[in-house]
Amino acid sequence: MGTEHLSKQYDNDLETLRSGVLQMGGLVESQIRGAIDAFAHGNQDLIDQVIANEARVNEYEVRIDDDCSHIIVKRQPAASDLRLIMAISKTVTDLERIGDEAEKIARMSRQIHERGHADLHRFATVRHAADIALSMLRQALDAFARLDAADAASIIRQDVAIDTEFRSILRQLITFMMEDPRTISTALEIVWIAKAIERIGDHAKNIAEDVIYIVKGTDVRHTAVEVVEREALS
Amino acid sequence: MNAAVLQSVEQALTQKIQVKNLNFYYGRFQALKSINLNIPERKVTAFIGPSGCGKSTLLRTFNRMYALYPNQEARGEILLDGENILGPSQDLNRLRAKVGMVFQKPTPFPMSIHDNIAFGVRLYESLSPREMEERVEWALRKAALWDEVKDKLKQSGTSLSGGQQQRLCIARGIAVKPEVLLLDEPASALDPISTGRIEELVHELKNDYTIVIVTHNMQQAARVSDYTAYMYLGEMVEFGVTDEVFIKPKKKETEDYITGRFG
Amino acid sequence: MDLYTRRLLINRFNLAVSLLTMLFGLFWLGWILFTLFKAGFGGLSAKLFLEMTPPPGSDGGLLNAIMGSLLMGAAGTALGTPVGIMAGIYLAEFGSRGWLAPVTRFISDILLSAPSIVVGLFIYEAYVVRVGHFSGWAGAFALALIVVPVVIRTTENMLRLVPDSLREAAAALGAPQWKVIVLVTVRAAKAGIITGILLAIARISGETAPLLFTSLNNQFWTSNMNAPMANLPVVIFQFAMSPYEDWHKLAWAGALLITLSVLALNVLARVFFRNRTATY
Repeated sequence: MGTEHLSKQYDNDLETLRSGVLQMGGLVESQIRGAIDAFAHGNQDLIDQVIANEARVNEYEVRIDDDCSHIIVKRQPAASDLRLIMAISKTVTDLERIGDEAEKIARMSRQIHERGHADLHRFATVRHAADIALSMLRQALDAFARLDAADAASIIRQDVAIDTEFRSILRQLITFMMEDPRTISTALEIVWIAKAIERIGDHAKNIAEDVIYIVKGTDVRHTAVEVVEREALS
Repeated sequence: MNAAVLQSVEQALTQKIQVKNLNFYYGRFQALKSINLNIPERKVTAFIGPSGCGKSTLLRTFNRMYALYPNQEARGEILLDGENILGPSQDLNRLRAKVGMVFQKPTPFPMSIHDNIAFGVRLYESLSPREMEERVEWALRKAALWDEVKDKLKQSGTSLSGGQQQRLCIARGIAVKPEVLLLDEPASALDPISTGRIEELVHELKNDYTIVIVTHNMQQAARVSDYTAYMYLGEMVEFGVTDEVFIKPKKKETEDYITGRFG
Repeated sequence: MDLYTRRLLINRFNLAVSLLTMLFGLFWLGWILFTLFKAGFGGLSAKLFLEMTPPPGSDGGLLNAIMGSLLMGAAGTALGTPVGIMAGIYLAEFGSRGWLAPVTRFISDILLSAPSIVVGLFIYEAYVVRVGHFSGWAGAFALALIVVPVVIRTTENMLRLVPDSLREAAAALGAPQWKVIVLVTVRAAKAGIITGILLAIARISGETAPLLFTSLNNQFWTSNMNAPMANLPVVIFQFAMSPYEDWHKLAWAGALLITLSVLALNVLARVFFRNRTATY
């Protein structure tokens, strides 16, 4: 954010905050990867690990929000500092929810693999959607680290792709269920997993909107993609 | 609120004071450089900036307080309701009856509380004793001081606490029913509770008066004002709606000052 | 020895020296007062205030002298004070621009430290000779000339102590400058100005030289200011220089009287000032 504050302590506090967000983001990213791998291969240890790490994700959220309160009370941040703190608080919430979704995917995967029926090669689309969501998250965290509004804007477009993927997965599953009613339980679980992935995409989009707010000062939530891009590139 | 709407709202507001190309000199030192500014009517405008930026100097041109001292000179135009107050034909005393001022240090006169308030009123109005008492009560009520002093109006103004003295000065200022109130760091010598009371007061007073406040406390400016002007080294750097200036300032210098990045 | 001990010793030494010098000064003062009281106390009686100055050998008091001093002192104060206050106001409030103020201040300071006998001689030349006789008025004029610079100095200083913020506050209400001065500034400095006047009175109560050539003296009672008037200092001078014992006693009593009244005035000034200070 340009020059340093008069107070070195303030700069340090903000830096700690920023890196905390990035660390949490990294953890959440690995959670998603682990969950999707578990879905594809059913590795029990991986599933257990993802579920165990969920607690760490929650700890991050609590700690970072607490740090935000401290900065607000001590420094009465204004302008860009204020926007940063507000956005971090929201971003951390989104990251925590993504963590929740990853844990859900892991649990569902366990149930699918325990039941045994899964012929999951057919669900390359789920894998594909997950890859998009993961890349959106990575890009959003990247944009946050570099405070790049243009990059953040491009993520928002990608959310549309995930929605399309989700609908196509649904159609596939419906066909699947109609062909063989014994697979309905598994199919429903896959629906939840697909929904979870779609939600991860939404959360990543939220994080991108937060980045634009930090950099440009404009709140682009609930506005059309074209408007967002115009604001981000202005 | 997007920019176009804001601009039309601003234009719809009457500009009580219009400063045009104002330059100010202390002897050879130029303290204000080409200031252009509009102060909207019945709103609170705050001047912020580091020490020596000229905010008090600018404030004191609005009632030509500098005229009390030699070697201080203002050039340019300041229009109050359209009339240039820097003109040679301007009656200074009449101007000051219209544009009141409250200073940083509370300055009660060495007389009773009642006489303190009556002092200004007696200068330009002749009221019966009954009317004067009513005016004194009105002013003290407006300044949120009535309940505390109503039983001791005959006591000296200097017997009050610091916060009360400052409210007395404010009551004294509004008793003459000015149109504009200039507040020069009115709360900087007071404790937080008194400061809070003064800020509440400003909030109520703005319904009736145009208020300009100089403060070095940025949070106070953010709380109390509708418009904020940031000044640096005698120049007007940015002027805008307070919320905008404090959340999304237009100039980097403003941003640096507000976030404490002054280096 | 180390630095601390050295400093401690130097401190103690200096304190001791200051104490000793103070005692030295007080000693002489004490001796004067003691002598005064011893010699004059016996002479203090109701008679002092009721009877006129007697010829040598008879009994009497100092009534006419006291009366004369009071009259001339009052007249001198009444004449000098307004002039001093107005000039003091001018110097403090209007004295920042122009040449008149520094010049006035300079002359006033010279007058303040001028030998009072010079003032007396001046009045003698300028008034007594013209009019052709000594008088109480001449004495009053001389005393007034001594009062003026004292009052100017204290008035100006007290007014300068009033902070500018008070003047600005009054001006900010739209008060014209003369009202600011009269209603606010002078009022704020009131205690100090009055103290200055009291001190001026104390000063002139003991002046002898200016009265020698102006009011001269008078053995008898008179309340006619146009005639030579008795006054305490000159009477003391006359009686003390005489060879008569009873006159000496009266002289001591008179000296004690003056000393006590000057003391009373000073105490009054201090008490008055302390109770009314810091109105701003």
